[in-house]
Amino acid sequence: MPELKLDGVSKSFPTRREPLVVLRNISLELQSGQNLAIVGPSGSGKSTLLHLMGTLDTPTEGTITLCGENPFTLDEPQLAHFRNRRIGFVFQEHHLLPQLSALENVLIPSLAEGAPDDAMISRARTLLERVGLSERLEHRPAELSGGERQRVGIARALIHTPSLLLADEPTGNLDRTAARGITELLVQLQQQEETILVVVTHSVELANGLQRRMALDNGNLCEA
Amino acid sequence: MTSWRLVIRSLTFHWRVHAAVVLGVAAATAVLTGALLVGDSVRGSLRGLVLDRLGKIDALLIAPRFFRSELASQLATQPSFTERYDRAIPAILFPQGTVEHTIDDRVSRASRILIVATPSSFWELDTKATRPKVLPGEDEVVLNEPLARELGVTVGNSITMRLPEAANAIPAESPLGEKEDRVRGIPGLKVVAIVPADGLGRFGLTPSQSLPMVAFTHLATVQNSLRLEGQVNAIMVSSAGDHPPPNAEDCLELNRLLKPRLGDYGLSLTQIRLPVKGDSTKADKLVLDYTSLTSDRMILDDEVASVATNAFAGYSAQGVLTYLANALIPLDDQGQETPGGGVPYSTVAAVDSRAPLGPLVGPDGEPLPPLADDEIIVNSWVAEDQDLVAGGRLRVYYYLPETTDRQPQETYRDFTVKAIVPITTPAKPFSGERSAVYDLPPTLANDKDLTPEVRGVTDQDSIENWDTPFDLEREVRAQDERYYDLHRLTPKAFVSLSTGQSLWGSRFGAHTSWRIPTPSNPPGRDSQAFRQQLADAFLKQAEKSQARLGLAFQPIKWQGLTAASGTTPFDVLFIALSSFLIAAALMLVSLLFRLGVDQRADQLGLLLAVGIPRAQTARLLRREGTLVAAAGSLLGVGLGVGYAWLMLAGLRTIWLGAVVTPFLVFHASTFSLIAGYLLGILVCSLTIGHAVRRLKLIPARRLLTGLASAEPQQQASQSKWGRKSGWCLLAIALVLAVAATQLGGEAQAGAFVAGGAAVLTGLLLLFRQRLERIPTSGLDATLSLSRLAISSARRNPGRSSLTVGLIASASFLIAAMSSFRLDASLEGAGGFESIAESSLPVFVDLNAPLGRAELLGQEANAKLAESVILPLRVRPGDDASCNNLYSALRPRVLGVPPALGRHFDQADTSFSWGPSLAETEEEQKNPWKLLDRPKQDGAIPVVIDQNTAMFSLGIYAPGSHASFDYDGVQLDLYVVGFLKNSVLQGNLLISETHFQDRFPDIAGYRYFLIHSPDGQTQAAPLLEDALSDQGFDARASRELLDSLLAVQNTYLSTFQSLGALGLLLGTFGLSTVQLRNVLERRAELALLRASGFQHRRVGRIVLWENLFLLLGGLGLGILAALYAVMPHILLGDAAISADRFGRDLAIMLALVVAAGLLTGLIAVRWTVRAPLIAALRGD
Repeated sequence: MPELKLDGVSKSFPTRREPLVVLRNISLELQSGQNLAIVGPSGSGKSTLLHLMGTLDTPTEGTITLCGENPFTLDEPQLAHFRNRRIGFVFQEHHLLPQLSALENVLIPSLAEGAPDDAMISRARTLLERVGLSERLEHRPAELSGGERQRVGIARALIHTPSLLLADEPTGNLDRTAARGITELLVQLQQQEETILVVVTHSVELANGLQRRMALDNGNLCEA
Repeated sequence: MTSWRLVIRSLTFHWRVHAAVVLGVAAATAVLTGALLVGDSVRGSLRGLVLDRLGKIDALLIAPRFFRSELASQLATQPSFTERYDRAIPAILFPQGTVEHTIDDRVSRASRILIVATPSSFWELDTKATRPKVLPGEDEVVLNEPLARELGVTVGNSITMRLPEAANAIPAESPLGEKEDRVRGIPGLKVVAIVPADGLGRFGLTPSQSLPMVAFTHLATVQNSLRLEGQVNAIMVSSAGDHPPPNAEDCLELNRLLKPRLGDYGLSLTQIRLPVKGDSTKADKLVLDYTSLTSDRMILDDEVASVATNAFAGYSAQGVLTYLANALIPLDDQGQETPGGGVPYSTVAAVDSRAPLGPLVGPDGEPLPPLADDEIIVNSWVAEDQDLVAGGRLRVYYYLPETTDRQPQETYRDFTVKAIVPITTPAKPFSGERSAVYDLPPTLANDKDLTPEVRGVTDQDSIENWDTPFDLEREVRAQDERYYDLHRLTPKAFVSLSTGQSLWGSRFGAHTSWRIPTPSNPPGRDSQAFRQQLADAFLKQAEKSQARLGLAFQPIKWQGLTAASGTTPFDVLFIALSSFLIAAALMLVSLLFRLGVDQRADQLGLLLAVGIPRAQTARLLRREGTLVAAAGSLLGVGLGVGYAWLMLAGLRTIWLGAVVTPFLVFHASTFSLIAGYLLGILVCSLTIGHAVRRLKLIPARRLLTGLASAEPQQQASQSKWGRKSGWCLLAIALVLAVAATQLGGEAQAGAFVAGGAAVLTGLLLLFRQRLERIPTSGLDATLSLSRLAISSARRNPGRSSLTVGLIASASFLIAAMSSFRLDASLEGAGGFESIAESSLPVFVDLNAPLGRAELLGQEANAKLAESVILPLRVRPGDDASCNNLYSALRPRVLGVPPALGRHFDQADTSFSWGPSLAETEEEQKNPWKLLDRPKQDGAIPVVIDQNTAMFSLGIYAPGSHASFDYDGVQLDLYVVGFLKNSVLQGNLLISETHFQDRFPDIAGYRYFLIHSPDGQTQAAPLLEDALSDQGFDARASRELLDSLLAVQNTYLSTFQSLGALGLLLGTFGLSTVQLRNVLERRAELALLRASGFQHRRVGRIVLWENLFLLLGGLGLGILAALYAVMPHILLGDAAISADRFGRDLAIMLALVVAAGLLTGLIAVRWTVRAPLIAALRGD
C-alpha cells in the first residue's frame, strides 16, 4: 500500500468572478524512502499542493491519504495530532522562534503532547548532531547563520520521525554552497529516517538531487 | 522545554510589545481601581466626618420639652450605664437659632444656627483637639469659623442669640397658644473664641458634609436667660472604652435606664380637694378629693392619654376635656339667639360623670347618665342668668381648636339643655392665691379644677386682665366678673366627653386632665403616697408600652455611620461613567496585543503547522496575555491610587460643586485594591482572549506568510455579519436609550451606558464594514492624498476601526455629557422668584392681606397686593437633595397648604412634573391635587423631586411606597408624582392636613415660596426685615436651583474630563498604530521618496491618514452621542444647547487636532528620517 496517495486532487479558490482553479485532478503515489521534487514557475500552485499534502489546506476535490488514513476526515485536534506525528515541514523562511535556543526550537512539536520527555530531548540532541549543530544547541536563531537556521528547521521537522517530510523552497534563502549542503542533508536524513520527502523548488540543482521530479503546469502535475 | 517556558521566553523576548500592552492594561486597571478608591474615599470621608463632628457623642436625647438636668446625672450613676457608657452630659440644643451682630447700626444676621449650651465637660468629648483655648463661661460664646465668617465677628465682639421660647407651653396653634413673643433674645454675649469647623467645631444633629454654623455657649447662660434653672432639653451619651456606638436596640435599653419623673414629661399630679368649712366643733369636710393629672402644655397628648388610660384603669379614673366657649347664648323657639342674651367666655367641660367624682349627679347623688351628642347641662348660675330651663336650646360659640392665625376662627354648636346642675355660691370669693370658702356644701359641679391652668388666664383676678393671644371682643358683664370672682373658671356647662372631643379635640390631644378619685378606704391614707403610687403606675405603664413621651435616645453616631454609606454608590457611579474610558483602555489593550500577535503571525503559523492544536496555541497566547494583564494590573493599581488621588483633588477644587464642601480625603481599602487588581486582570484577560479568538479563523498557511487576517472570502462573510450586527446594535441602542428615559437612578444610568456602548459598537461595525468595501481598484495616479490615506486605513480595517473606536469612545462621552447639563429655570421653582426659610415658625398668614397688613403695615401690604407668598410647614430632617452625600434616613418633610394647589390652578408658570399618578384632567393639569388623594393602606400621598427620589431615596416610579421613622412617628408614604429638577429637591411634600395629623406638635410655617410680579415691590426683602426675629432668610430661587443643579452639572464635567483622558489614551493608541503602519509600509513610503516625492508630500500622506482616523473617531463619537441622547431630548430632560455643544465640540476638535498633529508628526519624522536604501529593502 502506498504511504502517500493523492487521488484526483483539485484545488480552487473563490474569487469575486469565478473560482480560480490552482490544481487540477492531481494523482500521485509515493512510498516510504521515496523522494520527489516538484518544480514549476511562480504561481503554478507548488506551495498549494505542498500545503494540501501537509494538511494545512483542504482539497476542493479528491482525496489524500497518508499511511492509509485520510486526514481530512479528522476533526481539528485529531488533525493537529496527525500532522504532529506524521508530517514534518521545512520552510524557506525557517520560522524559528527567536526567543528559543536551537534545541528548544527542535523540541517545539513535542509541546503538543505536553512537556518533552528525556527520550525526546535526547532525540533532539541527536538530530542536531546529525545536522552538524552539536556545538550550537543553546544558540538562539539570531546567533546562527542562514544555513544553520535551516538545519535547525530540518531537525525540528524530523523530531517525531514523520512519514512525510515536506520542504518548501528549503534552499531559497541560501547561497549555493549552503543550498547544496542542505539538499544533501535533507536527502541523507530522509533516507536514514525512511520517510517520504517532497520538495517544491525553483532550484534545478536541488531538484536534480532527488530521485523523482515532477512539474506543475497550469494546475496539472506531470513528470518533468 | 515546557509550555510555560515558551510563554516566559516569549514574554521576555517581546518585552517591548508587551510593555505597551502593560501600559494599556495599567490604564484600564487604574481607572477601575481609581473608581473603587473614589468610592472608598467618599464613604471613608463621610464616616470620618461623622466620627469627627460627634467626637465621643454616641447617643443623643433631644426632647421637645425641658426636663431636669439631674436626669443625666442619675443616668450616669446607674451601674448598667457605667458598664458600657462613659458619661451623660446634659445640654440645651436649639437647632434653629438666630445669631446677630451689630456694627455701626448695621445688623449681620445668621439664621438656622445650631445653638449648643453645655457644661464645659462637653469639650472633653472632642476627638480632634478643636477644644477652644477659652471655654465659654456665662454670657460668653464660642462660634465656629463658618458662623464667625458669616457674621463677620472676631474674638471680643458681642453677639445676640435669638432662641425659641421654652417649649413647655400651650401649643401655638391652639386658640390659647401664644403666637407672638415666642422668641427670646440673649444680648451681649461676648465671643471668647472661634473654633475651626472641625471636630466638635462642626457638631451637628443631622448627617451632612456641608459646614454647619454652630454657636457654643455655657449651659447656665441659656438656663438663666430663659428662666430654665436646672432644666435641659438634651442629654449626650458617650460610650466607654472600645465599646461600639449604640444602635437602635441599645438606645431602647438606654431609654429604660432613664428614670424620668412625671415632671420631666411636663405632667403633674395635683391633689384636688373641695372642702366645706365645718363649724368650730367639726373639721372641714371634703366634698371632692381626687388627684388630677395635667400637662404644663394644657392639653394631654394622645400618647399620654393612652398611657393614662391603661395606668389608671383600676382607679375609676375619668378623662376630661375642658374648652373655652366664647359665648353661651340661649335660643328662642324659632332657633334665634335671644337678643341681648348670652354669657361670654365660659368654660365647658366634656366629661362623662361617674362616682364618686360626678361632676353631674342627680338629686339622689348618683351620676347622671351620659349625655347625647346634642345635649348639654348648664349650672344653676347660667340657668338663672339666662332664664334657661331643661329642654331649652343653647348655642355654644367657640374657636376651632386648631388655628394658625392670631385671631382664630369662631364657630358654634346648638344644644338642648338636658338638665340644670346646682352650684353653691361660696361665702368668700377667690382672692389672689386663696380659694373660695364655702359655708354651704359645694356641689361636685363646683370644681374649678376641671379647667386646666392657663398662664395669663386662670392666674388672673378678673376676666378683664386676661392675657389671651386673641382679642376679647365680646362684652364682659359685671355678673360675669362676679362669677369669675366666686368661681373662677369653673365650667358653666357640660357635654359628654365624646361630644367635646369631636368638637375640641385636636392633633394636640383630646384631654385636658385625668381625674383619679382618692380611695376612701383605708381612711386617712397618705395623699402624697397615693400620688406617688399613681406616678409609679404611669411611669411603669409608659415603660411597658415603650411610650417615648418625648424622651428617647437616638443612636446618633450609629445613624450617621449608617448614613455614611452614602446616597450614591460612588464606586459604581464612577465605574459606570468611566466605562467608556475603561472601554477605550481595553480597546487600546486589544489593539496593542493584536499588533504584537500580528508581528508574530508566522510563529503562530509554525506552531499550528507542527501539529500544536489551535486551542493549545491560543492557550499559550492567552497565558502570555494573562501574565501581561497581571503585570499591567499591578502597575494599574499603583496608578489607580494616583488616579483616585487626582479625582479627589478635582472634587476638592474644580469639581467641588459635586460634593459641596472640600471634605474628601483619600481612603483605600484592601478590598478595593484587590478587587481593582483582579477586575483589571479579568477584563484585560478577556479582552486579550477575544483578540486571540480571531486567530481561529486564520489558516496556518496564511499565518506562515505573516498575515494575521482572515481569508478575503471569510472577511467578506464577516463583513456581512458585521453589517447585520451593526444595524441590530443600533436598534438595541435605540430601545435602551428610550428605556433609559423611562427608568431612574442607577437603572437609567445603566441603560444609557449600555445604549451608548451598543450604538458605538454598532457604528464601529458599520464603519469597519464600509471601510472594507471602499474599492481599491478605483484608486489611480490622479487620486488625492486623502484617498490614498483612506486606502491605507483600509489595509487593516480591524486596526483602523479600533483606533477610531478609541477616539469615538472619548468623544462620545464628552458630547453625550454635554447634552445632560441642566440650566436653572423659573419652572424649576414653579414661578416663585424667592424661596425663604425661617429659623422659628411664623404664625402670620403671609398669603392673607390681614396677616400681611398686621406684619408689614397697610402701606407695604398695599404694595404687595399682587404678590403670592405660600407658607409651608416643616418637619426638620435630613437634607435628601444631591447636596448631601449621606443617606437621608429621615428626609425633611414639607406640609403643602391647600393654597398652593389653588395657586397652580391659575398660575402662569408651574413646576415641571415628571411621571405621576394623575388620571383625571384636573389632576393632569395640576398634579398638586394628587396630594389630596385618600390614604392608601394607611400611606400618605407624597410628591418628591425626581432626582431626590431616585438618587437619594431609591424610589423610581410613582405608586411606590416608602416609610420613614421620625423619632417614633412612622410616616408611610406612597408617591403620587415626581417634580423635575425643582428647587424643592431634598424634601418630602405631603398635604398640610396629613402633615398636621402626623406631626401635631409642629406649629407654624418655616418655608415660603414667594412670587412678586415684575416691576412691583419685591416681598422677600420686606419680609426679611419684618421677620428678622424669626430668622427669616430669603434666597433667589434661581440661585438656589443653580446650586442644586450644580451637583449634576459638576458630575457631568467630571465625566467629560474622563472623556478628555480617554482622548489621551486614544492619542497613545493612534500613535502606536500609526508608527506600526508606517513601519509595515516603510518600503512603499521609501519607494515614494525614491520616486521623487518630497519629504513634505510623504509626510502629508501620513498626516492625512492620522486625520482620517481622528476625524472618523470624532464624527462617530458625536454621531453616537446624538443617537443615544436624542430620545432623552425628545422624551426626557436632556437638551442640546448650541453654545455649550459648540464649545465642547471646539474643545474636542482642538484636542483631536493637537493629538493628530502630535502623533502624525512623530510618524512623519520617523518615515522621512529612515535611511532610504534600508527602507526600500524593508529593513
